Order: sequence, then C-alpha cells, then structure tokens
Amino acid sequence: MKSDSDANALPAFDFRSRAARRAARPGGLRLDALLPHAIFVAALLGAWELAAARGWFDPIFFGRPSGVARYLWEHVPTARFWIDLGWTMAAALISFVLGSALAFGVGLAFVAWPALERFAEPYFSALNAMPRIALAPLFILWFGLGPGSKIAVGFSVVFFVVVSSTVAGIRGVNDDHLTLCRTLGARPATVFFRVTLPGAVPVIFSGLRLALVYALLVVIAAEIIASDRGIGQKLAYLGATFNVNGVIALVLVLAALGVAIVRVMTWLERRLLHWQ
Amino acid sequence: MNLTEVRAAIEVERVHLAFEAGAAVLSDVSLSVDEGEFVALIGPSGCGKTTLLNLCAGLLTAPARGTIRVAGVAPREGNPQVAYMLARDSLLPWLDALANAAFGMRVRGATKVESERRAHALLAEVGLAGYERHYPKALSHGMRQRTALARTFAIGAPLLLMDEPFGALDAQTRLQLQDLLLRLCEQRGQAVLFVTHDLAEAVALSDRVLVMSSRPGRIMADVAIDLPRPRSIRLLHKDARFHALYASLWSHLEAGWAS
Repeated sequence: MKSDSDANALPAFDFRSRAARRAARPGGLRLDALLPHAIFVAALLGAWELAAARGWFDPIFFGRPSGVARYLWEHVPTARFWIDLGWTMAAALISFVLGSALAFGVGLAFVAWPALERFAEPYFSALNAMPRIALAPLFILWFGLGPGSKIAVGFSVVFFVVVSSTVAGIRGVNDDHLTLCRTLGARPATVFFRVTLPGAVPVIFSGLRLALVYALLVVIAAEIIASDRGIGQKLAYLGATFNVNGVIALVLVLAALGVAIVRVMTWLERRLLHWQ
Repeated sequence: MNLTEVRAAIEVERVHLAFEAGAAVLSDVSLSVDEGEFVALIGPSGCGKTTLLNLCAGLLTAPARGTIRVAGVAPREGNPQVAYMLARDSLLPWLDALANAAFGMRVRGATKVESERRAHALLAEVGLAGYERHYPKALSHGMRQRTALARTFAIGAPLLLMDEPFGALDAQTRLQLQDLLLRLCEQRGQAVLFVTHDLAEAVALSDRVLVMSSRPGRIMADVAIDLPRPRSIRLLHKDARFHALYASLWSHLEAGWAS
C-alpha cells in the first residue's frame, strides 16, 4: 500500500484535472452546453415578440420581450430599483438570521430537555401547519407597513424550519461516535463541539438553505399584501396598473435572485462540508 | 516466569447480570486477563460477550452481584488505562486520517503537536503512510479500520477492549488486519480482551480463549493457545496445532449448544 497522490489532491481517487472536474459538474458553464440553450431562448423570445407584434395575443395582458427589456433597461440603473431590492433582501436576511439564531437555541434546548419538546410539540405542530402568510395582515397591523412586519413573517417561517432541522441533525448523530467519546472519557463540551455539532451540520445546513429561500418568498408575498417599499410592493403596483412588462421584468429579477441565493448556499456548503 | 510480577489487567468475579428483571444475561461469570495477555471471548451470538466487554469498559452500570476490577479499579468510562475499539470504524468523517488517528489522544488532553506526531507514526505503522490527509470517505473499509487501529494504539493504554473489530470486513482484509494486530500487540505487549465470533481469529491472535455458552452466558471453557510467538497468520493456517485447537474450540462451542 503506497501513496499514489500528493497530500493536497482531494478528493482522492479523482485523477481528472480541476478544469475537467468543473466541466463535468452539472451546472458548470461550458460554451458548447450553453449554445443549445441560447438558441432555444432566442427562438422562444422571437416567437413571443412576433406574436405580440402580429396581435396573435394581446401584449397588454401578455407583455412582449422588447417591453420587458425596455423596462429592465430603464429601471435597473435607477436608485429606486436598488432601494426596493435592498429593502426586500434586508427583510429576508434579517428574518433569516434572527429566526435561525433563535431556532438553533430552541433546537438545542429541545434536545437537552426532551420533556420541553414534548410539551411544546402540539403548539409547534399547529403553528407550523398554519399557512404563515395568513398571519401577514396581523403582522402588518402590529408592526406597520415597514420592514418590521416583513421580518416577522419571514421569522415565523425560518424559525420552524431551522428548529426541526437542528433537532433532527443533533438527534441523528452517529451512536458509534458517542460511544467512542464515552470510552475516551470526553467532557460534554468536547463531545458537543467536536462530534455532535460537526455531525449535525449537514442536516442543519439543508434546513438553513430551505429557510433562506422561504424567507425571501414570504417577505415578497407580505410586500404584495401591503408595504411601503420593496420588490413585492412594486410588483403589486405594476400588476394593478396593467404594466405586464414591468411585472415580468421583476419576476425575472426575482428568479435571478433565487438562483443567486441557491448558488451562494451551495458554494458555502461545499466549503463547509468538503469531507462529504 | 516470575509470577509475583504478573498482575491482573481485568478481574471479573462471579458476575450475574439481568436486564429489567428479565432472564439472566450473564450467569456466574468469572475471568481474568493478566497484564500483557491476549484473551479472546467467543460464543454464540447473544451470549452476552459484548455485554461483558461493555461492563469492563464502564459503558453499562455495574452488575448487582459480583465484582469487576479493570486495571485495579472499578470499571469507568474514560479510564486512561483502557482503550476501546468497535466493530465499525467510527471515524469522524469530517476529520482526515491523521486527525482521526490523533482524536483519542486529543480528547484525552494531549497537545495537537504531540498527538499528531504520534498519529503520524502510528499511521505509518498500520501501512497508511501517505494517506494522512485523506478523509474517511476516500478510504476503503480496511484502510478505515487500520486508521481506527492507529487511533486505538496511539492512546498508549496498557489494556485494550475490542468488540469484533474485524467483524465487518471481508475475509481477505480481515486476515491482513489480524496480521497487523498480531504485530502491534507483540511489539507492545499490552493486555487485550477481544470479543469475536470467528474461531480461527480467536486461535490465531490469543494466548487464551474463553468459550461462553448461549444465554445466560457462562464461561464453559478456558483454552490455552500454546502456539509460539511471533506468529504469522499465513503460516498458522498451515499449522496442525492451529487446526487441533480450532477443532477443540468447536467441540466446546457445540457442547454449549447441546446444554
């Protein structure tokens, strides 16, 4: 048994170059893979534009690509657009951070004191089963049209997702690892920080990823219901004034934002969980 | 041999154990393992051999009847005189082989530099030089169990408790690791209590083999393995004495089934 790779060549047994691995990864950017997509999208947009120009369907209801492009061209460079986007993102991120932090603490408490979890379980189930967006009108009354009500709605979603993933992650820790720690006489803090927590990270992380996407979703929904700022508020306004091109443009912006969030979380996961 | 210098690493005296007022698991079990002695515990599955090992490791609460002394004291978790090894490698997947081999020492308070230095040496000794930076996912079953052996031996405890450490390996890898364990033990000479259901493994590795009956477990036979050391697994399998001892253990086991 001799070494056949240098110490830095991870993962082991993957002898392809870094570039080859990147290219083989699903979602990696490659020109020859991109070309069919470019042709497909161009054909779709061309057909849509043609149909709108010929009056095959009414651009007042269905918009047209050139109109969407013009809206983006005119609005994306403005401060107003970025302020709206900033409000939406800030509300989603703040609710994510607050909700996750509290949920992590509560999740740990549930694992430490199962009696507490048994007591809280019926209330948690009821709250978690409730469509949280139904609370938005209440939160808007309590916290106003500003970011407070959006953060509250986001928080109410993030919290439950992260509590259950924290509990599942920590309960799912390998019994053999705990037995090993017991035979070594490890202190509880050592077990927690060196075994339990790292072992729970994959499950907790998938909860966090889900929670962030949900947070953005419900913040926008709450903004559509009532808000003084934000992309959701803008969407509601454009829809109400029949600016279909504007609505489609903002939906595209949100799609790009969603993809960006997933990309960042995936990148973070690779960094954190490179051993998987 | 100077008998006054040989002290018991493990002393089990007249231990009875029953779980939850149910049927007895262990019945009047007495055994001893001397310092530097390799003792295997064999018996049908469910006979309580792992339970007995876990009692010695302090993983189970002490039995109501009988006494157990491990390295001169009552069994307890984290006894620095004792290292414990499981059937599954129980490597931490987020640590590389070096950090896994060093883990036991780190938990027991050794410095990072010192434990990594020893882990490095042990990995080389178990045949994993060059694999220090590999994560468990990139290692084969045999290599993972070699890493677990390195972790166990790196602690430097004079008593090892092993619960079928090669039970989950394929036949060939198992023979290789038995050879490795023979070498590690013969160089260091610590006491080992080794639970297995593999008779050939018990004969090949041990100084003595204890045969347990089916539940409730009793020690039915105490067979001295008078094969010379150092041993080689490959040569042992061609040795007539080895096969005679193997056959004798078989007959003891069968007597246990009949009773």
